[in-house]
Amino acid sequence: MDKKKAVDDIEPGPAPSRSVDKFGFIKPEQGSSPDGISKSRSIHEREREERRIRKWRKMIGVGGSDWKHYVRRNPHVVKRRIRKGIPDCLRGLVWQLLSGSRDLLLMNPGVYETLVIYETSASELEIIRDISRTFPSHIFFQKRHGPGQRSLYNVLKAYSVYDRDVGYVQGMGFLAGLLLLYMSEEDAFWLLVALLKGAVHAPMEGLYQAGLPLVQQYLCQFEKLVIEQMPKLGQHFIDEMINPSMYASQWFITVFSYSFPFHLTLRVWDVFLCEGIKVVFQVGLALLRFCHDELVKLPFEKLLHAFRNFPEEATDPDVLLPLAFTFKVSNRLVELEKEYQKKMEGSNASTSTKRSQPLKSKTFSRIGSRAFASSTNSEK
Amino acid sequence: MAHRVDNEYDYLFKIVLIGDSGVGKSNILSRFTRNEFFLESKSTIGVEFATRTLQIDGKTIKAQIWDTAGQERYRAITSAYYRGAVGALLVYDITKRQTFDNVQRWLRELRDHADANIVVMMIGNKSDLNHLRSVPEEDGQAFSEKEGLSFLETSALEAINVEKAFQTVLSEIHQIVSKKALAAQESASTNGRSMQGTTINVAEAPTNTKGSCCSS
Repeated sequence: MDKKKAVDDIEPGPAPSRSVDKFGFIKPEQGSSPDGISKSRSIHEREREERRIRKWRKMIGVGGSDWKHYVRRNPHVVKRRIRKGIPDCLRGLVWQLLSGSRDLLLMNPGVYETLVIYETSASELEIIRDISRTFPSHIFFQKRHGPGQRSLYNVLKAYSVYDRDVGYVQGMGFLAGLLLLYMSEEDAFWLLVALLKGAVHAPMEGLYQAGLPLVQQYLCQFEKLVIEQMPKLGQHFIDEMINPSMYASQWFITVFSYSFPFHLTLRVWDVFLCEGIKVVFQVGLALLRFCHDELVKLPFEKLLHAFRNFPEEATDPDVLLPLAFTFKVSNRLVELEKEYQKKMEGSNASTSTKRSQPLKSKTFSRIGSRAFASSTNSEK
Repeated sequence: MAHRVDNEYDYLFKIVLIGDSGVGKSNILSRFTRNEFFLESKSTIGVEFATRTLQIDGKTIKAQIWDTAGQERYRAITSAYYRGAVGALLVYDITKRQTFDNVQRWLRELRDHADANIVVMMIGNKSDLNHLRSVPEEDGQAFSEKEGLSFLETSALEAINVEKAFQTVLSEIHQIVSKKALAAQESASTNGRSMQGTTINVAEAPTNTKGSCCSS
């Protein structure tokens, strides 16, 4: 830790000599690694991009005023455009509109501030320990106690107070960090609430609750989908004793924000906020499908290596996402979830002393009004 | 058995790295397997995996190492990886007393989920930060003696004792396995069975039986 401080002291202020990519990540020494979009974009491309942004602005309206109306009238257009990627300059706003976090923010004025300033969290030390370990190579989060690290701390602390059952769990920092690159602290907090409590889609808090019940469920569903969609590879995984917790837990826990190229993460998040968690399944399947012929030949250890080192072509969003959308998984996911829950109920009944894993009811999503209630009955 | 003994190695040992979050498990692993250290490393989410093959007591031994997320809540996932492990490095941070105090809980965790005769080595990491030390080396020593564990202080940053820690634990495992193999050989010769299984059952990849869903 002290070593790190020493490094910081040498740093020449806010603008280190190392160069950053278009998203603010410090480039590796070689400097030649592409950041997803080539530097010299043609005039034609730039014009096309500008046209796209104009279209988007029209769709959103001033400050999001036309959004709901447009979505109601043209849901398919919106979905199609989102799948092509939200223009980076509008991303933060659109993410908030998609997730329902805007409404939460408006319904709960002053709540965030109270959580940050007046409440204490049992997770404070745990959060602090991870702050410098979240997007450590991003310029915004690099500076010790700088604005990036401070807002990250505030958002995570606020959430750990807001839902003391979940508290703080490693992985949440990557969600919060990603959001903070596109919006204010308060906006990021409410988007986190919207996701975890399920403002629009199924709540995701089970990813972080004791026992990580939703992680277990998703991994189980994913394993079944692999077998169904790619029988040969699924069988190969069984033969090699590969199970998805070895490679896919972080895909779900951080929604691909932990270790994938950032331009891919963003595109996944565009679709994720619009269509829900199923896109994580789809992208996961697409990664395996893309590398299928290679993967079926690899033994155990090489497989594990391959899962952490997907080739660059595989992580190109314009290749991977279209492939991902070819997997129609919605209905199957519902069935597999039912199967899973039935099985869990069975095993819980037989071993009744096992820790309770509340299989959260979908109706838990009415949160706006009780937002503050859950934060005031602090146990401390 | 997932992995047969081939020419590459004589033994395959599965090792787990456990201990509180932030004590330096991932850097101990990267120092040992790739001779790398990252000051700016991300917290581990779930599990990570690496291997290294080395010579111990004249045998080629491959260490298959699972690095686990340290936060308590992750044990729901990580404890499945204790099964089949023949060795564990239990790491604490010499500058953080709490991480040492929690060693007891980690031992309990191993008792609950790992094989009974797993070889455990306790490691006090970050010995380069001696000026910030809050756990005297003697405390680590005394505790490890009481619990019957091997013990070393390491610095992943300065590459001190990391190699030695792994060698110690692997060598200890090797001795146990050789003794077992010898015993097995003796009983096998009376049974007329040929002596093949030198890997005993240490090469198992973690199975997803308990806790995970898709097993029953």
